[in-house]
This record gives sequence, structure tokens and C-alpha cells, in this order.
Amino acid sequence: MPSARPIMWNVPHWAEIVMYLMIPLVLAVFTAGVVWRVRKWFIGRSEPGDEGFVKTLLNAVHPRRLVEWFPPALFQSRLSPDVFSLIMHWAIFWGMVVLAIGTALATVDQDFTNLLLDKQILSGGYYHLFELALDAFGVVLIVGLGMAAYRRYLVRPKRLETTRKGISLWDGFPFLTILLLIAITGFVLEGLRIAEGFHVEAQVAAADGPEAKQLAIERMGLRERFRVGQERWDVELDRIAAGGPVFPAAAWAPVGYGLAELFAPLPTASIRLLHLAVWWLHALLAFGLIASIPFTKAFHLISSPVNMLLRERKTPPGRLPVVMESGVSTVRDYTWRQLLQADACTWCGKCQEVCPGFNSGFPLSPRDLVQAVDSLLLRTPIKSNGQTASLHDSLIKPEELWACCACRACEDVCPVFVEQPRLIIDLRRHLVDQGQVDEGLQDALMNFQRYGNSFGQSPRKRPAWTKPLEFQLKDARKEEVEYLWFVGDYASYDQRVQDVTRTVARVFHCLGVDVGILYEKEQNAGNDVRRIGEEGLFSMLVEKNAKELAGAKFRKLLTTDPHTFNTLKNEYETNGGPHPSPLPEGEGTHGNGPLPDGEGTPVLHYTELLDELLGQGILRIERPLSFTVTYHDPCYLGRFNGIYEPPRRVLRALGLRLIEMPRHGRNSFCCGAGGGRIWMKDTPGIEERPAESRVREALALPGVECLAVACPKDLVMFQDAVKTVGAEERLRVADIGQLVYETMGISLEKSTEVGEPIA
Amino acid sequence: MNIVVVVRQVPDLIEPLEIVPTGDALDLDTASFILNESDDHALEQALLLKEAGGGSVTVVALDFGDVDNTLYTAVAKGADRIVKIACDGDTPPAARDSAAVYAEAIKPLEVELVLVGVQAHDELDGGLSPFLAAALELPYVGVIRGVKAGDASGTITACKEFPGAVMARMSVKLPAVLGILGADQPPRYVPVSRIRGAMKTAQFEESAATLAAGELLLSVSRLYPPAPATRAEMLSGSEEEIAGRIAEILAEKGLVK
Repeated sequence: MPSARPIMWNVPHWAEIVMYLMIPLVLAVFTAGVVWRVRKWFIGRSEPGDEGFVKTLLNAVHPRRLVEWFPPALFQSRLSPDVFSLIMHWAIFWGMVVLAIGTALATVDQDFTNLLLDKQILSGGYYHLFELALDAFGVVLIVGLGMAAYRRYLVRPKRLETTRKGISLWDGFPFLTILLLIAITGFVLEGLRIAEGFHVEAQVAAADGPEAKQLAIERMGLRERFRVGQERWDVELDRIAAGGPVFPAAAWAPVGYGLAELFAPLPTASIRLLHLAVWWLHALLAFGLIASIPFTKAFHLISSPVNMLLRERKTPPGRLPVVMESGVSTVRDYTWRQLLQADACTWCGKCQEVCPGFNSGFPLSPRDLVQAVDSLLLRTPIKSNGQTASLHDSLIKPEELWACCACRACEDVCPVFVEQPRLIIDLRRHLVDQGQVDEGLQDALMNFQRYGNSFGQSPRKRPAWTKPLEFQLKDARKEEVEYLWFVGDYASYDQRVQDVTRTVARVFHCLGVDVGILYEKEQNAGNDVRRIGEEGLFSMLVEKNAKELAGAKFRKLLTTDPHTFNTLKNEYETNGGPHPSPLPEGEGTHGNGPLPDGEGTPVLHYTELLDELLGQGILRIERPLSFTVTYHDPCYLGRFNGIYEPPRRVLRALGLRLIEMPRHGRNSFCCGAGGGRIWMKDTPGIEERPAESRVREALALPGVECLAVACPKDLVMFQDAVKTVGAEERLRVADIGQLVYETMGISLEKSTEVGEPIA
Repeated sequence: MNIVVVVRQVPDLIEPLEIVPTGDALDLDTASFILNESDDHALEQALLLKEAGGGSVTVVALDFGDVDNTLYTAVAKGADRIVKIACDGDTPPAARDSAAVYAEAIKPLEVELVLVGVQAHDELDGGLSPFLAAALELPYVGVIRGVKAGDASGTITACKEFPGAVMARMSVKLPAVLGILGADQPPRYVPVSRIRGAMKTAQFEESAATLAAGELLLSVSRLYPPAPATRAEMLSGSEEEIAGRIAEILAEKGLVK
């Protein structure tokens, strides 16, 4: 007869009954709490094309989606860049999960198989494994909790601190403490039980002869203590009478065994009393924990995985959804998904750590903002009584909202897929709707309304940059072109960028790229206008541009500006107005005919085109460059559209030695110009502008002489920053187009040779 | 308070201005028109007064230039009524003539306060605002920076700016005409969606007032761009050379001996 798990050892029948009576109560509180929290999500709006919670949930439970869901939900994979956090989370999460599974298994073992079938699953080898696993994961849990406490209360990283009222570093303290106490009381219980076993074994060993041994067993009340069927009962008692151990599996529970040796000197009666007291404490702590989950930070155990499962994945990162054009003023204006996101936030502060606004001393922490939304959500009654508190003013101040660069670093790093920029832009939309905009921004918006550019310059001056060119750029409104070059505001109007724009034009010309522009009919594409929250103005710009694009004959859109690139690529076809169509049906003269429906017009960033031309051998490097560069990933090219490699391939092909800044690729650090920031003044208290931080990062790299950029706004921002940090002599800020031109070995003024046209 | 705001269209100086071949007028065909800046402030001040003390804001304009957009924008900002006065011809009337027609349009509106920008960059024969006050036979104060409700009923308190940034706060008995230089706060931003909403819902009222050409008091004999000013001299060279050159210039100008 193999040894089996003792059932309700030392627990009187009344205590067992009381404990079981508490279970429905605990589950009722837990369920009511979960229902309360879930109903809170649905005070939000439905989204366009919303199928409702139940259908969304059913659709989400799909093998392919589940496979995607497992790593972030069960293994917290999005924490992988931060190994400490990852291990801590694994330890706490899996410690808790294994102990919870163990408890559930023990309950089944006792209430189902033992009571009804007079058998135990937890016997023999399984039982040994069970003991070992629970001891091991109990230790894992305690280690995880220790790591959490160490970091929260000793290391205290900035990302876990806050200055906002109502949020505290100690919010997680009750949860962590209860978990720790559950683990400790579990071990103490085990130790006390095994210690009592030592006492029984000693009594039996001391008794002389079989009858005396039976008497000792009776005296120890052992018959009452094994709550198993008659047959197994006798076997157990015989085994112990024969000098066998009371708990043969004790050696598989090293922690319990060690504690038992510590407790063994106590008198038997004390051990029994202590054991019962700790048993109650353990049970009450566990019940308290379960009942409190929906009401504490621990709710992220439910909300975060649910958010990961139900998140909307069809919309590309570069396409900003619009549910309410007039924006969000109360939590009821957000969509249920957005409220779920706010509720899923674990307040880990990863977003704050990467936020260019926060890091520059602007009054913005994406984490605090999400927490503010969530805290108001929890205070908002589910049934509307006609008045809902505003999210604006006292709770979230306009200067917080205007500090956002809409660079998406926060969203990209968030372990639980919160879309902070979208939450912010919806709040901005409300401010814009109320006419409450930053002063600098107001000028820019008025200029966009009136002139279609932020510079407040005449639309007629837009093509003025082309005048010094040695050749005439095609007018895409009048003649057919392969590539319609959507130049963008900064490239067209900013005097510092115009030179670079001309250089890029010369590169295209020399390589025979069939390119044309819309001349004065181009207007700002609207990417940043939309992210400011001026949705009506964005629609107006799209309509105007789409009309011009529809009248032009071209096959692909091309731009040097990642902001323009993003909105043309991701947002133009969704905006009602005429789709920026390529050649009208039947007029495809390039052999492939019109593009199939739904695929839209291909949109290329010029670095992609240069990369293609290199691959085709059309762009040849005649005079390789030999210095060391580093490359700044523009937010709207990288994080929004996943284009990281083409610019790097081009740079390497030029002969340059490319070394990366610590923050590169997905972790690239915004120059501070996005989301309309470029038109706003710095607020007082700013510590270090994002662009200066970035320039210092580049300067810290060994041997780097050049910071290569692929965005007109970056060029302006970094050229300024290089001056303000006093590094003009040490670091050149150059556009990739300029570097390419330098390697082509062409001085356009002398050469009229043009490469082979691209087929 | 029943407030009337007069708004005017002026050539947008962002666009290059062109002069007609006869050399005595702007070529308005090539110009684009924009709301006069101080009229924009007058509108903002009217809206602020309405928001603080109730009442209504009626915006009156000659049907000229980009006036529809300006009036829809005014409605989107909070104006209650928009009135257009027919304006034939390609050239807006001179200030004195237009004052007469504005007065004719405003009289039936039972107005308590008329706000109009104190200046416009196309005024040739004097400011519109005093002419308008005279035509309406109402008291007038100009160069106003900010208006509040008055202490006594039937009055308002206006802040007038004098040269040297001296400010005077004065109580003005209503009805009156004020020439606005600046509102209590800069003109508000109005989102495009609200302007578009106004385009769908707002109705113009056509004024019966007709423009009568008055006696020609002045005529332009020549209109021309200013001669380019002397260009700045950029100093280059070593610090000593630059310092020496600065000293020379100061001596040449007689600023140092």
C-alpha cells in the first residue's frame, strides 16, 4: 500500500464544515466583484463594427489566437527585455498557479475520490511529486515576492514612483503581503504536521511490544487523524505500529521537513493547537485573497490576460481609430476596449521609462494618465445618473495631454497591450473640440486650415524649392509618372530642409526614377494634425489631397517624410474621400494594369526605394564613404510601420560603418517633434529636450562622426540640438539622401547623363 | 446684451500683393482674402461678453471675399445670427461709404453694443469704427483692449490703451460703438468639424441695406512696393577684426567718439 496524502489532518469536523460553508461566500464575493469590474468596461461605447463582448470573446477563443495569447498572458513574454521583471513575474505567477492547482487537486482528492471512491489520486509516486512540486514552487513564490519587495521598497526605480495623489508605491503591498503569508503559513502547517508525526513515531518506538505500540497509536488519537476508509485506515495504522513513518512522503517536502525538525521540541499539544490556528489563518488568508482580487491591483490577473485576448488586432499601428470625432470627456466616451485597457494596466511604469515627454521633464507620465482613467472608471457608477465626472482639468491636465509626442514608444513597450497614445489623442480631440489648444498649436492649425501647411506660407510657394534644380520635375497632375512624390511640409517649406529635398530630387533624377510632384496642389497629408486631435481638419486635408491624387496619374506614392508616409499608407483609404487611386481602370500603361481592389496604392519611403535600386544595381556606389555613422529610426517609419532594415542596408552599402545607439529599432527614442510637439513651445521645467538627449546618445558612441536621419523633422530637430549641446564640430547630422548623393560621384551641374529608366 | 460685430475681409498679406497695370490699386483678382485681425478680436470680445452675461451676438459683413467662410466660422464659435450685405463690384467700398451701409444694416437690429476692429490694413480714408459710430449717432471709444460688464446697468467697462502702454478703464453708457484693438483673450480656435456643422445648419440673413457711392474724398495716385532697405552688413573674420569693424561703425554713426 503506497503512502497517500493525509486528509484534513488535525482539523476537527466542525472546522471542516465551517470552512466549506465559507467557500460559496468567498466565490460569491469574487464573482460579484468580477461582474462589477466587467460591467464597468461596458459603460464605454461600442466600436464601429463591434460584435459585442460575447461574440468577441467567442471569436477570440480560436486556436491561432490562443497560441498568440499564451506567451504574453501566461509567460509575460512582453517583459523579456527586463530580465529581473520577467523572472520576478514568472516566480510569483507560476508559484501562485502551481500552489493553486495543488490546492485544487487536494480538494478533488479529498472530496471526490476519497469520499466517494475511497481512493486517492495523491498517493505513491504522484504524491511524492506533488509534495516536491508544491514545496519547490512555494519557495519560488517566496523568492519572487522577495524580488518584488526588494525592487519596490529598496531599489525604488523611478518608474514605480509617482507624484499623483491616490496612487502609491504601497498599493501592491497588501496583495504581496497576503501572498507571502499564504506561502509561509503553508510551509508552517506542513512543518507542524510532520513534527507531530515525529512525536507519534517516537511514542511508538518507545512502546514495548505490539500491544503497547497499538496503545500508543490509540493514545495519539491517530485513528481519528486518518480520515480514510476502514481498509486503508487499518493498513496505515499497521504500518505505523510496525515502526514505519507517519508521513512516508515527508522527505519529499524538504522545506516542511526542515521546519518540522525546528518544531519537534514543542510539546504535542502545542503543536496540535498551533497547527489548527495556522490552518485557519492559512484558509482565511487564501479566502481573503480570492475575495479581494476584483477589488485590488490583483485584478490585473484577470483584466490583463482578457485584454490580451480581446485586443483589436486588425488595425495597423499607423491607423488611428476614430469613434468619437469630438473626443472623450468622460470615461463613458471611451470604447469598452479602451476602458478594459485602462483596467488591464499593471502600473509597471515601462511606458513612463521610455516616454520622451516624461524623460524631458514634461508633465506627462503615460502610466499615471492610464491610472487616472482607471481610477475614475472605478469611481463612476455603472448606471448613468446623467452626470459623469470629466476626465479633464483636475484629473488630467491639458499640459499633460499636449506633452505627448505620439511616438508610440509606450504602446510598443507595454506588457499588457495598452494603447496609451490613443487614450491621449481621444482626450486631445475633446480639448480641440472645445477650442482649448496650445497657443503654438493654434497658429499651426489655423495655418493648416487656411494654407494647407503649418508654416503659414502661401500654397503657391510650396514648389519654390524646385526652382534652383538643374532640371524640371514632372508635374504629376499633367503627365503620367511612376512615382508620385508627396513631398511634405518640412521638405518643401523649411529652408534648412529644402537643400536636402533638392539633393534627393537630384538622386532620383540621376538614377532615372520617373517621379513627379503635385506642385502647389499638395497640402499637408495630415498625419500630425490627426494626432493633435483635429479630426475635422484632418478629413479636410485628406479630401483636398485625395482629390488631387485622384486626378493625377501615377503608380506608386513616394515620400521622404515618415509622418506623411504613415498617414498615406495607413489612413488615406479609410477616410471616405476618394481613394488616392493609381491609374484609372484600363489605363494601366506599365504592364500590370490597375491594382486589385482593396490593395490600395503602394506607398514607399525613399529609403525603401533606394534600397530597391541598390538591389537592382541601378544605384551604384562610385565613391564609397568610409566614416562611422549611427542611424536614428524615425518613429513613424520604425515603430509605426516596421521599416528598420532598408535604411540600414543603404547606409552599409555606402561603405559606412554603422554602429547602433543603445536606443534603436523598436526602442528608438523620439526626437520630440511628433504628435504636434514641433509646433508647441517647451514648457517651463523642461530638463533635457528629447533631441538633445538623442544627440548626446549619438555622441557617446565611439568614433561616430555622423548622425544619419531619414526624416525632414529629424534633420531640423537634430541640427538644432547639435548646436544647443555645442557639438557642431563633432557630429554632422545628415540625411540618407545626402550621403547617397555623395557616393554617386556625380556633380549634376556638369553631368547630364541619366541612368536607365526603371521598368 | 444684444451685440453686433462688424467683420471685414482684407487682402491676405501672406500672398504676394500685385498692383494693377495702371499703378493705382491692388490687383484684387490675384489676392486672397482673410478676416481682418482686429475684427477677429472684436468677435472674440463679443463672444466673451455673451458667455459672461448672456445676450446674443450678430455678425454683420459685406458680401465680399471669403465672407461665407468667415461667417460660418463665427457661428461655429458661438455667434447667433449672421447678416450679409450685398456688395456689387470687385472692390470693397471705402471706410466712410461702408460705414453708412453698415449703419443702415445695424439700425433695425436694436443693438446695445457695436464692436468693430479699430483698424484694418486696407483702410485709406480713416478707420471704419468712428465713421460707424457717427453714422449710428452713438458714442464711440477706440483702441480698446478688453471689455467687461459695467458696474451699473446699461453700461459696460472698457479698457482703452494710450501711447506708452498707459491703460484707462472707463465706464461707457450703452448703446455705444467700440473700436477693438484686442479682446480679453486671443481669438479662440474653432475646429473644422464645427465650421462644417455650421455650414449645414446656419442661415444667412440678407440685409436690405444698399451701398451708395459717396462723394469721392480721396484718390490714390500711385501704389508701389517700398524700395528695398539697405541690406545688413555681415561681419566676418577674427574676433579682433570684427570688434574693430564694430568700433569703426559706431564711430561712423557718431555714436562713440
